[in-house]
Amino acid sequence: MTDIAFQGDPAVKDMALARLRRHIADGSFVFYPAWEEGKANVIGAIVEADDQTAFAERLGYPIALVTALESIVNAYQTLPVAQTYVTDWFEQTPVGADLSRVVSQVLLSILERSDLVTLTAPHAELERCRQAVIALHRREIDGDAADRKGWKVERLAAVAASDAITDGSFAHLAGLIVEAAAWPATMRTVLSDTLDACGRLELRRETGAIGWTEALESRAYKIREKAEIDGRMAELSGIDRMLGLLDAEDPELGQHFRQRLECFERLGHINRLVGRQIVELMRQAPVVATPAEASA
Amino acid sequence: MRHATEHDFDDVVMKNDKPVLVDFWAPWCAPCKALAPTLDDLAIEYADEMEIVKVDIEANPDLAKRFDVRGIPLLIVVKNGQETARTFGTVSRSRLDAFVDANVGTEK
Repeated sequence: MTDIAFQGDPAVKDMALARLRRHIADGSFVFYPAWEEGKANVIGAIVEADDQTAFAERLGYPIALVTALESIVNAYQTLPVAQTYVTDWFEQTPVGADLSRVVSQVLLSILERSDLVTLTAPHAELERCRQAVIALHRREIDGDAADRKGWKVERLAAVAASDAITDGSFAHLAGLIVEAAAWPATMRTVLSDTLDACGRLELRRETGAIGWTEALESRAYKIREKAEIDGRMAELSGIDRMLGLLDAEDPELGQHFRQRLECFERLGHINRLVGRQIVELMRQAPVVATPAEASA
Repeated sequence: MRHATEHDFDDVVMKNDKPVLVDFWAPWCAPCKALAPTLDDLAIEYADEMEIVKVDIEANPDLAKRFDVRGIPLLIVVKNGQETARTFGTVSRSRLDAFVDANVGTEK
């Protein structure tokens, strides 16, 4: 039974929660890697391997949700908050829930975001593509899925529409979101690709707001690379060393880099928002299978 | 999806009747690993139209040199024994699909 939570079996949910809680209690729950030397992230904690397919099959979550799960969890940035989120993910999913519509529902919520519409609306073809992809996902939810050709036509149109926007505006990045979402919900990377595209837009917006450019990023890291060769400030490490080097060589760049750090800490907003939406959608998903039905 | 080495590359890729998408990768390359599931799906979807062949450049440095591989992941299309297109870096599924559609000449 695909996409039926925990294969309709409460024992599977109990197993998943027990394994997760054991890792959290033991202090062996990590962001990365999935499974190494007894440490585990959300995937490894359950299947004891870096195997998203096994996780999806064993627990009955759609593969597209599972493929996006690690990047969603990583957006919570601190372990305690991530652990709470992952626990919630399992606890809130009803045993036997039909999760087959959740991916399309999440993609619809992304495609219908007002900030996205603001960017696509001035570009007629891109806006048409956004609405066409929404219509395709609505058909999926209604059980009237389009065929492969129907998706491909709109996806290639979205790629062309994105490429036609060459003014460096955020609209091009909005187009990348539309084209990434132009796949059936069963396609493994549809949600992770769409979230990646959302992340690129978010990054450009945040860094643009503080005037941080690729040229500044490159300059900052060249200073860092030079220090690797000449050994300057080797007594420091990580961000402390980076800031020390920048303050010494280019104080203005150092101050700007601090703003960039704050900006990067704010990133992941969309992933966290989508993460909460997914938990809520799963919680509300209709329960269609009992253990007896699952084993039939 | 197959793997090719310096010993069998010409037979597997250059003499293939179908267009071949060659994936140059390495075990230490994290973006290559990220691209792998996308290529797995692509191999199934386009099984009739093309083959995907993987080349580990660490084990096959001469192939990396032959095709001027300067960064990975690198995907090249080979048709009738000739390279016809290449794309570098982690590519979204949509962009990869568009690349294949434009360069392999699928009808679907």
